[in-house]
Amino acid sequence: MTTSTGALIAAHDITKTYAMEGAPVHALRGVTLDIHRGEFVAVVGPSGSGKSTFMHILGCLDRPTTGRYLLDGRDVSHLSDDELSAIRNRQVGFVFQGFNLLARTSAVENVELPLLYAHDSRISAGERRRRAMRALAAVGLEDRAQHHPNQLSGGQQQRVAIARALLNDPSMLFADEPTGNLDSRTSIEVMEIFQRLKQERGITIVLITHEPQVAEYGSRIIGFKDGRVVSDQPNTSHRAAAAELLAASVPAGDI
Amino acid sequence: MPIRSSLSIAIRALRRNRLQTALTVGGMTVGVAAVLAMIAIGTGAEAAIQDQIRAAGMNLIVVTAGNYKVKATDDFGGGAVEPSAAIRHLSDVVLAAVKRCVTGAIAFMTPTLLAHPEDDPMEKHDHPTARQRLGDNEAGLGSASTLTSADAEAIRQIRGVQYVAEGLHQNVHVRTTANKRWFTRLHGTDVQLPLIRRAWTVRSGRFFSAREQSRAEQVVVLGSIAAERIFGDLNPVGGDVIIWNQTFRVVGVVTTTSWMVAPAPGDDQFDAVYMPFTTVHRLLNLAKLNDITITAASTGDVSRVMNEVTKLLRVRHRIADEKPDDFTVTTQARQALAKGGMRPDVARAVVGNVAGLEKVTLEQLGRTLDRATRTMTALLAGIAAVSLLVGGIGIMNIMLLSVTERTREIGIRRAVGARSRDVRSQFVLEAVALSVAGGVVGIVVGLVAANALSQYLRWSTTISSGAVLLAVGVAAAVGVFFGWYPARQAARLDPIQSLRYE
Repeated sequence: MTTSTGALIAAHDITKTYAMEGAPVHALRGVTLDIHRGEFVAVVGPSGSGKSTFMHILGCLDRPTTGRYLLDGRDVSHLSDDELSAIRNRQVGFVFQGFNLLARTSAVENVELPLLYAHDSRISAGERRRRAMRALAAVGLEDRAQHHPNQLSGGQQQRVAIARALLNDPSMLFADEPTGNLDSRTSIEVMEIFQRLKQERGITIVLITHEPQVAEYGSRIIGFKDGRVVSDQPNTSHRAAAAELLAASVPAGDI
Repeated sequence: MPIRSSLSIAIRALRRNRLQTALTVGGMTVGVAAVLAMIAIGTGAEAAIQDQIRAAGMNLIVVTAGNYKVKATDDFGGGAVEPSAAIRHLSDVVLAAVKRCVTGAIAFMTPTLLAHPEDDPMEKHDHPTARQRLGDNEAGLGSASTLTSADAEAIRQIRGVQYVAEGLHQNVHVRTTANKRWFTRLHGTDVQLPLIRRAWTVRSGRFFSAREQSRAEQVVVLGSIAAERIFGDLNPVGGDVIIWNQTFRVVGVVTTTSWMVAPAPGDDQFDAVYMPFTTVHRLLNLAKLNDITITAASTGDVSRVMNEVTKLLRVRHRIADEKPDDFTVTTQARQALAKGGMRPDVARAVVGNVAGLEKVTLEQLGRTLDRATRTMTALLAGIAAVSLLVGGIGIMNIMLLSVTERTREIGIRRAVGARSRDVRSQFVLEAVALSVAGGVVGIVVGLVAANALSQYLRWSTTISSGAVLLAVGVAAAVGVFFGWYPARQAARLDPIQSLRYE
């Protein structure tokens, strides 16, 4: 397997070993993978397969033990903590299973958060607020801007988290079990947003899930097991979340 | 990241936990307020002592005719009065010395000036002539006739003497040509008196001149109260007053610039009339002085000048070694000490326990007092610092708790691009914000407490801007110091671990 230079993400023989008491834990045992701009990659696998660890490394939350990781042609596997922080701030957005919003903080303030850490650009408070409101509007929550997380439903919270992830116009969005805490309809709503982002903005999405039906919204499905890639194929089912939502709403409208 | 946005992040985080924040600030408040109040009390005591020793005539020496320290007996009464209350505090050593002097003084003394019975220093001065002449109800301290203007002239030659003013004091009726009368004090004095009374200002006209003094001219300067009583709203300068059936020209009016002294009827300085002592001598046919007021050029030199004056006068008055002085040299430090403003315990300790207070040089006294109050201030501030420490530990506790509680928040911030130093500065700033908020409230509380202390307990307290700045600085330092460790813990958290933290 080779890594081509045009890929947005080029991981080469990445391993990750955690030094635990007793035996070291090998979370990744040599993963080589290219992801191209605009792909919607779903990563599936049982828990403990290393898919989350892989996502953390791709998202610059963590560094590989060995191997090389080129992000947009730049080797980031040995960058300093500060440099990784800057990459997370500008090029990467995260969406988590547990939403990870700041409690007792309004939706719009949560969305603003990445701009507070935009190190090299000075953005005024007014500009921050404007951009946060625009991002909230993109996920249809502009009327809930002042609500705190505990006043929002799970789906709404996840949309706030997505708005936050998108605030700095990242080229990549990493979602770790984003639908794990959501019911099926809300899950489809979130998938609809992801597909729209891929379509309209060409954002590269890496979606971690253990639900095969959620993985079907992606354009490519990668299977993980025991720290290795066991399958990697384009998705042919082409589930479209928008169409499913539309279809689901028709009977409701008839009643 | 600019400090301003770090600060706004920190403040927002604090606002999310109002009760916790308020309690922590409260702890800090108590600490800072206690420190400030204690410093205020300590420096207040120090300042009170310094005010009273230094400003109240640290360099002022007064030589008075007669020796009031010699006990009254039947042999000589006039010059001796009851020992003042302060004297009773003198230690046994001094009392023994006084007794020795008394025994010596009982022996017959050779008068130095034989011109008139009244001029005998040890003669009774309460015979009718003396009373009439002096116009005093009681011929007491200063009415002995041992001092002369020649003595004053000799004192002027002593090295280290700055100003000398001769003093002659009488009670007089002052009358205007309009027949308005006022009974007041007359001070025959020297042109240098205004230089000694530094708080004086000539309200209108001028003080009498050296030329008027040397020619013993009939000019007077009125104290402001006397001027008001005699002339009302009119400007007295250029007007005439009649004293002893003689006409005097008013050349000026003196008053004070010191806010501490309000001229009032009956006071010695401004309900008074001043004229050249030469004029008093000429008109009353006198050669004596009641007292001589001296200032030393340097306050550190007071004791030496005092000794020189004593030595000089003893030689001039031909006093044998075993005989007591026929004059009294005093400084104002003792009187000032006994007056209010100082914490009672300090004043008592000083007046009661310093053996032979008169013998202690003023510098020594000042140094001792400074040291004593500084020790006390340090002690008080030390006790207060403990409460500050407790406040600081409270902050550290809250911050450590907060780091644990907000591990997930830290993970979120790291995920969206916060560097570990951003997290650290947020937590340090939170701690500093807590401590400075506590500090500011503490300053207010401390100021109120210090004011209340001086209001109700009459302790003098001083709060300098330096002390306030110090309090703010210490508060911020406590924040940084006790906030650093929790902040470092927060900054070291692994982003992934903290995101998974439940």
